[in-house]
Amino acid sequence: MAIQNQPDRHEPSYTEGEARSLDTGEREYMLDVRTQDMELNMGPQHPATHGVMRILIRADGELCTGAQPHLGYLHRCAEKIGESVEWLQYLPYTDRYDYLAAMNNNLGYSMAVEKVMGLEIPRRALMLRTICAELNRIGSHLIAYGTYGLDLGAFTPFLYAFREREWMMALFEKICGARLTYSYIRIGGVFNDAPPGWLEEVMRFCDVFDVKWQEYVDLLMNNHLFVGRTADVGVIPKEMAIDFGLSGPMVRGSGIDWDIRRDMPYELYGEICADGAFEVPLGTGAKGTLGDCWDRFYVRVMEMRESIKIVRWCLANIEPGPVLADIPKTLRVPPGEAYVAIENPRGELGHYVVSDGSKVAVRCRVRGPSFSNISVTEALLPGTLVADAVAIIGSTDIVVGETDR
Amino acid sequence: MDFQAIHDRLRAIQAPGLLGADEPRAPDPEDKKDKGRSGDPFVLVDPQRLGPFLEAARSDERLKLDLLADLTATDPAKDDENLWINVQLLSMELKHRLAIKCVLPKADPVMPSTVPVHRASQWAEREAAEMYGITFSGHPDPRNILLPDDWVGHPLRKDYVFPDEYHGISCK
Repeated sequence: MAIQNQPDRHEPSYTEGEARSLDTGEREYMLDVRTQDMELNMGPQHPATHGVMRILIRADGELCTGAQPHLGYLHRCAEKIGESVEWLQYLPYTDRYDYLAAMNNNLGYSMAVEKVMGLEIPRRALMLRTICAELNRIGSHLIAYGTYGLDLGAFTPFLYAFREREWMMALFEKICGARLTYSYIRIGGVFNDAPPGWLEEVMRFCDVFDVKWQEYVDLLMNNHLFVGRTADVGVIPKEMAIDFGLSGPMVRGSGIDWDIRRDMPYELYGEICADGAFEVPLGTGAKGTLGDCWDRFYVRVMEMRESIKIVRWCLANIEPGPVLADIPKTLRVPPGEAYVAIENPRGELGHYVVSDGSKVAVRCRVRGPSFSNISVTEALLPGTLVADAVAIIGSTDIVVGETDR
Repeated sequence: MDFQAIHDRLRAIQAPGLLGADEPRAPDPEDKKDKGRSGDPFVLVDPQRLGPFLEAARSDERLKLDLLADLTATDPAKDDENLWINVQLLSMELKHRLAIKCVLPKADPVMPSTVPVHRASQWAEREAAEMYGITFSGHPDPRNILLPDDWVGHPLRKDYVFPDEYHGISCK
């Protein structure tokens, strides 16, 4: 299938007359090479698409002249299922759209339903939710960090990242029994209290991670070859970021000072901000142009350390108490609707839920950040080198389970 | 700005297509069948003038709702005559949000595309179009996005009939 809705032909940057006036060797080259557009199929099973996604690239030699992402290979009808099962039964499905940050998905869905219900959540549950969401953010950014190195040909950082992620997953296994799809945060609070010694182990994780974090910076972020591959590549100006509805590290990499946790605080983040416990790292164009691939990567790496600070704040302030509000087994949500957006590792995760007062939702919309974030490749790839396509797609840090839902 | 202030401002600048607002309310104690409405407030907008409305909300100095976070549709019930179009706007600079609802008749679900105003709605409209059978006239790329090109029906409609098979694959 050909790329549609983009100009058919890329004009060469020189005329035939100009080519003829060149020196012999170069002239032969210029006249000899017929530039013909070629369609390059990337995916659906390409390692750099981080899932099953297909991007059709039109290339004129080494230059991309058009790009068209094709989605839907991982479409699992999440929204239709949301309208077919009971409110509480839908929770495990939320794990499965952004499977690298399942805690954040649980949190977003639970908060949307709680908002329509007007439910009060016990404070200890809020603390555990924040700890888990932030630990999961670290885990997700570790994958972004590791696989981005992998995309660009650096294998070792990936192994370093998985070392810490393994511990993070072991922590989640201790608290809820699952390593990837948790369903731990649920409507009304969390599934159960932390087992004895768990909070102390999280504290040890924080202490170790602070040291390890410096390794990531040394190993990849300031690596000369890595900077050469990512600086000045895939620059997203602020206006473009807003026009495409980007969010999360994608806009912060472009220098837009926006983080839902700080600017429209939910749950405990208002208190944490008031204590000045965390900062919002922004891209500065330190290695190249503001909004390039390196800036987005930098934001993710810096955010990991900020998440550790948030976890430390929670560990210092957590107190004993109930962890689940009193809710019936079969939930009836009063008529109403709400859109709740939270800061997921990839950006704004929005849940729009509509209830008519029955046991089943009328609408269960998921606004996944990856869906908007990957749409920008359509505009970003034309004009870049084919070799940079992987760097640009990798820097969006998509999870295809979420674009397709 | 809170919702009331945004709504007042939209009325003051006479935003095109603005029809009114709907806010949560407590149940009526007199009427036992009335359960009230909970959740978020939103403004009602004429779907045929949604594009100019979004433009006005974006260009106003005190609103600056320049980011379209989400555009989707809702089928409220099988016997309902209308579909809803739900838009979520956000101003990163002024830190406020606005929810918009448009009511579109199921009998003639056609409305102008908002892609000329927000590029973000290009993919969102493609998804709403395939899932609900809405036609966004003037859309630059009206193909299916998540569903296969030959998929029959609009799955998120409440009257959708599940297929028995797809290219020889049983769906039972």
